[in-house]
Amino acid sequence: MAQKTEGIQQLLMAEKKASERVNEARKRKTQRIKAAKKEADAEINAFKTEKENQYKQYEQEVLGKKSTSESQIQVETNKKIKELDVMMKSNRSKAMTSIQKILFDIKIQLHENVKL
Amino acid sequence: MAGMSDSEVQGQIAHMIAFIDQEASEKVEEIDAKAEEEFNLEKGRLVQTARAKIMDHYDKKIKQVELQKKIQQSNLLNSSRLQILKRKEELLNELLDDARKTAYKMASEDPSRYRDTMIKLTMQALVQLLEPKVTVQVRQQDLDLMRKIIPEVQDQYKKFTQKLEVKLTIDEQNFLPADLIGGVILSAHGDKIKINNTLNERLKLVSSKMQPELRETLFGPNPNRKFRD
Repeated sequence: MAQKTEGIQQLLMAEKKASERVNEARKRKTQRIKAAKKEADAEINAFKTEKENQYKQYEQEVLGKKSTSESQIQVETNKKIKELDVMMKSNRSKAMTSIQKILFDIKIQLHENVKL
Repeated sequence: MAGMSDSEVQGQIAHMIAFIDQEASEKVEEIDAKAEEEFNLEKGRLVQTARAKIMDHYDKKIKQVELQKKIQQSNLLNSSRLQILKRKEELLNELLDDARKTAYKMASEDPSRYRDTMIKLTMQALVQLLEPKVTVQVRQQDLDLMRKIIPEVQDQYKKFTQKLEVKLTIDEQNFLPADLIGGVILSAHGDKIKINNTLNERLKLVSSKMQPELRETLFGPNPNRKFRD
């Protein structure tokens, strides 16, 4: 008889232990899923920082070039203006002659529709 | 429990205990595996969504920067073009002002040419007016000259039109400014019909008509121009 109860005790204990193990497993599972968010956040932030740095670098590159291209363009412009002045000097008298010629070339004519 | 020995019973119980343990282990394994699976799924999904959002965000920012750069470039080029055009205009105006001075000089230093010019200018205006009574305004310094050429002009007019006559009167109350290059202003019927045939007015017309030609002469042909008819 003593063995019977002992046996049953043993079985009950085994059951209890089994049930505890399963519960622990379930708890672990919940924890694990919670941890997913935390780990995801960490990965996401790392990615974000990387992208931010890439962007900042790119931005600097592009904007950095601004003042160089600005002064480059101004140099070109000044060059072209100097060219204008040079061309003006060499073509001036030719143009002036044309102007004076046409200014004093006065044509006397009736309007095309006039009938006297 | 008749018929089973103690050891047999123990054996059975041990067996059952082992079975319970085994079942529990399997269950635990299953739960752990599931846990890992869901962990990865959830983490993966969160990371994926966030990554896509972040990349989208930075793509937009990059596009903005590129757009800004383009706008900047365009503005710089535009400003450059304007500077050049402005300079061209300055040079052109300088030239025209000089033309005015040159013409003024000619008018005062070559009296016979000026006389000829005055006759032509008056005639040109008269044949446009075709009026029998015309008033003419001149600069004060041209008064004498005008008086002298009126008979000749009236004569030429008659010959040119082959029948019409004109009476030309000088307005001695209202002279043209002395700093004009020269020329005449003709009017008929009071001030109702007026023709400004001063050399200054002519120069204005001539220079505006000649603009494209002048620009080409001075600065060379326009590389962007497509049509020349």
